[in-house]
Amino acid sequence: MVVCAGCSCLCDDVEVELDGERVVKVKHACRIGASIFLNYNVSRAEPMVNGKPTDIDDAIEKAIELLKGSRKVAIYGLDNTTLEAQGIAIDLAEKIGALIDNGSKFGRLVELILKNEIPTTTLENVKDYAYVIVYWGCDVHNSMPRHMSRYTYYPRGKKRQRGYEEDRFLVVVDVRRSHTAMLAKKNAVFIETNDDQKLVREFISALNGGVASRDVLRIVKEVKKSEFNVVFGGEGLVRGLKNLNDFVEFVKKFGYFIPADYHTNSMGFFKIMFERTGRADSYCFGNDSVVSFEDALMNGDVDTVLIVADDPLNSMSFDVARKLVKVNTIVIDPKQSFTSKIADVVIPSAISGVECGGTMVRSDGVSVELKPMFKSEFDDVKILKRIQRGL
Amino acid sequence: MPSPMDIYKLLPKTNCKLCGEQTCMSFAFKLITREKKLEDCKPLFSPEFEEQRKKIEEMLKVVEKATETGLVVNEDLCIGCGNCVVVCPVHVYEDPEGAGSGIGVRLEKPILIVENGVVKVVNVELCRRYKDKTICVACRENCPTSAIAFLEEL
Repeated sequence: MVVCAGCSCLCDDVEVELDGERVVKVKHACRIGASIFLNYNVSRAEPMVNGKPTDIDDAIEKAIELLKGSRKVAIYGLDNTTLEAQGIAIDLAEKIGALIDNGSKFGRLVELILKNEIPTTTLENVKDYAYVIVYWGCDVHNSMPRHMSRYTYYPRGKKRQRGYEEDRFLVVVDVRRSHTAMLAKKNAVFIETNDDQKLVREFISALNGGVASRDVLRIVKEVKKSEFNVVFGGEGLVRGLKNLNDFVEFVKKFGYFIPADYHTNSMGFFKIMFERTGRADSYCFGNDSVVSFEDALMNGDVDTVLIVADDPLNSMSFDVARKLVKVNTIVIDPKQSFTSKIADVVIPSAISGVECGGTMVRSDGVSVELKPMFKSEFDDVKILKRIQRGL
Repeated sequence: MPSPMDIYKLLPKTNCKLCGEQTCMSFAFKLITREKKLEDCKPLFSPEFEEQRKKIEEMLKVVEKATETGLVVNEDLCIGCGNCVVVCPVHVYEDPEGAGSGIGVRLEKPILIVENGVVKVVNVELCRRYKDKTICVACRENCPTSAIAFLEEL
């Protein structure tokens, strides 16, 4: 049994069959998870400086030299690495006054959860007690394939013995008919909307006994049947909400909220940041301000960026990616990626959950210990520690 | 999926009973349910029916891919979400703590299992469609990528 670090579900029931160093069979993991284990040895990163192969010590030395020579450093990524590595990266940012940010956009909402302003719960409780399950602005069937089958809609729990057909009510809110929305059949509602804010107000009105559309009234009628209802909000919801106060009011009346963030360990990053700075968002230790990595890059406030276990060139918009190519980049990644192709320094690392252990935090805030199958000489923690010492 | 009538039209239609069936129509039915094989129809293998035989073989290709219950899994479309494993009524009954609760199936003989990221049909003889001939479509209904299909719907 190993823990799959493919998405923030962190499934701990995955079985892996080995033949020496080769993974032969992966049981129970979804396609994302299975490919991490099956292809762990494919297209690995090599230590590189300015596109030329070198050894790892040289690459780390060069990285330290680059960081020493620059005044506006940013540390980005950290979503696919362990809590321990994130802690060292934040220490490093504090020491050199760098900007630190991760790929997730959930900072604002998670901050409210950590401040106990939004009621939240664990996925185990959802399995055992939840009746109305709302997926808002996320296509979990594709981003976290086992989310519904392992934790929320399909499994039978203590108080929900009769399964999804009778004991659950599924609501999907999205801008299009996604795969998750296709699962909303019997005892389910799919709402297609382009204005999340308006729908939130409609829900509040209906929960207060006011006027609302037929679908919303039907959902509210079901909500009143049970005391345990839960909303899973995805990136679509985070981007769609202009005013969070309405949403907080809605969740307090509705039940519980859990972010459906697919970034593996973004919740861990937010938790440490909240402990250190009192905020869960991106933070610049240099001038004590809250600014996202994209904005800083667009304003030209970054001259060197240290990217840990992420591929921003693949996920960022074209304008931002173009700016990223122009600054100095140091990539710490186990695999070759678009970003490692353009990076000035590439430091190969270990795959969390396969070659190096540590702790990760699931999307609902529960810590999960990784169980690696192999051992690796260099992992994110060791590399970041060496950089920290060098500075 | 071809209908029995489509296949009947291409058979010799002599009701010769050489295959053991009373009529060619009932033979056509049994070809689709895979109780009979095309080789049982001896007149069809004579040179005069060669063209028709090839057409029937083409039609029956879909049938051959399916399991005994008519379940067809397209592995290219499957993303391994495991919805089918968790909703399968046989799994829930036999393994309530495992598959029924969302954890990977723990049975020695499961019907469906997610292996290497895609679902595999392992012990189809335990399926309700096979044993009791129940028309159960739980796995297909909860597969939004249409990786699971049944022959009668193709």
